[in-house]
Amino acid sequence: MADEVVRLDKVRREYLVGDQITTALGGVDLVIERGEFVAIVGPSGSGKSTMMNLIGCLDRPSAGSVQIAGDSTNELSDNKLTELRSKAIGFVFQQFQLLPNTTAIENVMAPLLYQGKSTKEARKLATQILTQLGLGDRLNFDRNRLSGGQQQRVAIARALVTSPDIVLADEPTGALDSKTGAAVIELLKDLHREGRTVVLITHDLEIAASAPRRVFLRDGLIERDERGVR
Amino acid sequence: MRILGTAALALNRIWATKVRSLLTMLGVVIGVAAIVALTSIVDGASQGINKSLATLGTNQLNITAMAQDSLTEQDAAALAALDNVSVMFVQAQNQGTIATQDSRVNARLVGVSPQYFEAVKPEIALGSYLSSSSFAATSKDVVFGADAANDLGITKELLGSSVKLNGQDFRLVGVLDDQAGFGTSGRVYVTIDSARKLFSQYPYVSSIVIQANTPEQVDALQIQADVLLRERYGLGVETTARYTITNQASLIAAVGSITATLGLLLTGIAAISLLVGGIGIMNIMLVSVRERTREIGVRRAIGAKQSNILTQFLIEAIVLSLAGGVVGLILGEIAAFFLAVLGDWVFSIRLDTVLLALGFSLLVGVVFGVWPARQAAKLEPIDALRFE
Ligand SMILES: Nc1ncnc2c1ncn2[C@@H]1O[C@H](COP(=O)(O)OP(=O)(O)OP(=O)(O)O)[C@@H](O)[C@H]1O
Ligand SMILES: [Mg+2]
Repeated sequence: MADEVVRLDKVRREYLVGDQITTALGGVDLVIERGEFVAIVGPSGSGKSTMMNLIGCLDRPSAGSVQIAGDSTNELSDNKLTELRSKAIGFVFQQFQLLPNTTAIENVMAPLLYQGKSTKEARKLATQILTQLGLGDRLNFDRNRLSGGQQQRVAIARALVTSPDIVLADEPTGALDSKTGAAVIELLKDLHREGRTVVLITHDLEIAASAPRRVFLRDGLIERDERGVR
Repeated sequence: MRILGTAALALNRIWATKVRSLLTMLGVVIGVAAIVALTSIVDGASQGINKSLATLGTNQLNITAMAQDSLTEQDAAALAALDNVSVMFVQAQNQGTIATQDSRVNARLVGVSPQYFEAVKPEIALGSYLSSSSFAATSKDVVFGADAANDLGITKELLGSSVKLNGQDFRLVGVLDDQAGFGTSGRVYVTIDSARKLFSQYPYVSSIVIQANTPEQVDALQIQADVLLRERYGLGVETTARYTITNQASLIAAVGSITATLGLLLTGIAAISLLVGGIGIMNIMLVSVRERTREIGVRRAIGAKQSNILTQFLIEAIVLSLAGGVVGLILGEIAAFFLAVLGDWVFSIRLDTVLLALGFSLLVGVVFGVWPARQAAKLEPIDALRFE
């Protein structure tokens, strides 16, 4: 068996709104192996974010099973799920989601501190990674004094600092102009080249086209799963 | 995350919203300041009252006639003959007028037996007590209480001059200090013999004061005195007496319990304002949880456990409340200091007040912080992240 970091088996996710059941995911099988770069593509409402939340251990399936780095999320308590998330997942959000009243370095230190690392060690690792991403001179800036592209780089640094098994990026370029967006995508590709597993959610077909693997979602189902550069 | 890191987050947030944090603390500040100031008022007041009561002597029994003809000098003599009685004096008193050449006022005229000054030792402001020569049958000397002297406009120069009591000439020999003791201030003291001439009510007296040798003997002496007087007048145990016997020690205890009740009442009122302060904190914390739902979601996504979120918000509430408590304590002690200067009592910072103030504000923070903090911790990460 290859080194599977994500395994979805017949995963369904339904939402009950009032007395109406919405099916966000209607039975999805997906395996992602270590070191892959996967683009998840699909129109709005097709279930991309729902899938990312399941892979990111923020949510549990209504039916089927989700395994992350060998652990099935169904049976885990909230605490264990948080531990798994903290160890295995790094998130990059569309709206950056940097913490308020918090400097760049503090944002990047936060995941390490939640893991129980000392402030000293967290500061060292955070400085290292921010410097690598070209933000060595912005360590003590808070989000109001960073450009969108810089904020997203801080967010990527925050996602990477714990060396997670998977980096999950949901529309990371959605709030950026195309040039800055392209730089962010380049950054994610660099991570892939370093051997990290990256899952990129996008509805930009051009960006998707440049990914080695593309999973197309429609109405909560996988429509196509393509590999190889076209 | 380690607790210090979580505390740093809480402090960071409080600092980032300074004005709001200050306003949130205000309720607790006022509550604690009120408790501290009120406690010191009650303390100061009971200090004052106890000081004047102490001048009465704690081993004294005060036997007061219920009517003008209830007790006589013969009763006093019989009481003086009891075992363990060290001092005995009688008082005969009545309303009367006192006058100098310029003015004239009403006052309570009190005739006392020679032992009175020796037993009570009221502080004297001018002149002297009624001396043994004052008690010679022919002399007519008078000592004024502080208020009585004030009302008449008595000055040092008038010492030794003549004043009129109920129209009769007396020689003013002294004026008592206004701190001389409980109830002395409005009175005018003459010898018991002079009093008889003034109100012509021999052999009746209005009160008899006896003093036990030691404070421990007071209760027993009270019973002996009661039995003796009941025998003299043939009163049964059930009959209402012609007199009441007041034990000074029990009077002090009674005043003590009154001030304690008063203190409790005031503290209760202050506690209510503290409660309101606590509700203020809870309210702001709930608002804060709502406003920061997204932040909570992000923190959960990057690895914060429910317990991390809970502690962060709880520490925030506790810091707000405790800081309010410290500020309130300082303001309260400042107020207490000025009240002590005004009320002329001793100012002191009591350790129990400090601990009470800080303990209460800590408690308020915990009690009113727990619920909002739990609300924050219980948020589902995805719902929190999606929250607009
Ligand atoms: N919390 C929720 N409650 C109810 N319905 C939900 C919830 N989250 C998602 N849905 C529904 O599930 C479906 C899939 O939503 P999802 O957010 O996964 O779409 P998406 O592919 O990410 O879309 P977009 O590209 O617009 O972000 C939608 O029909 C949506 O209305
Ligand atoms: Mg989405």
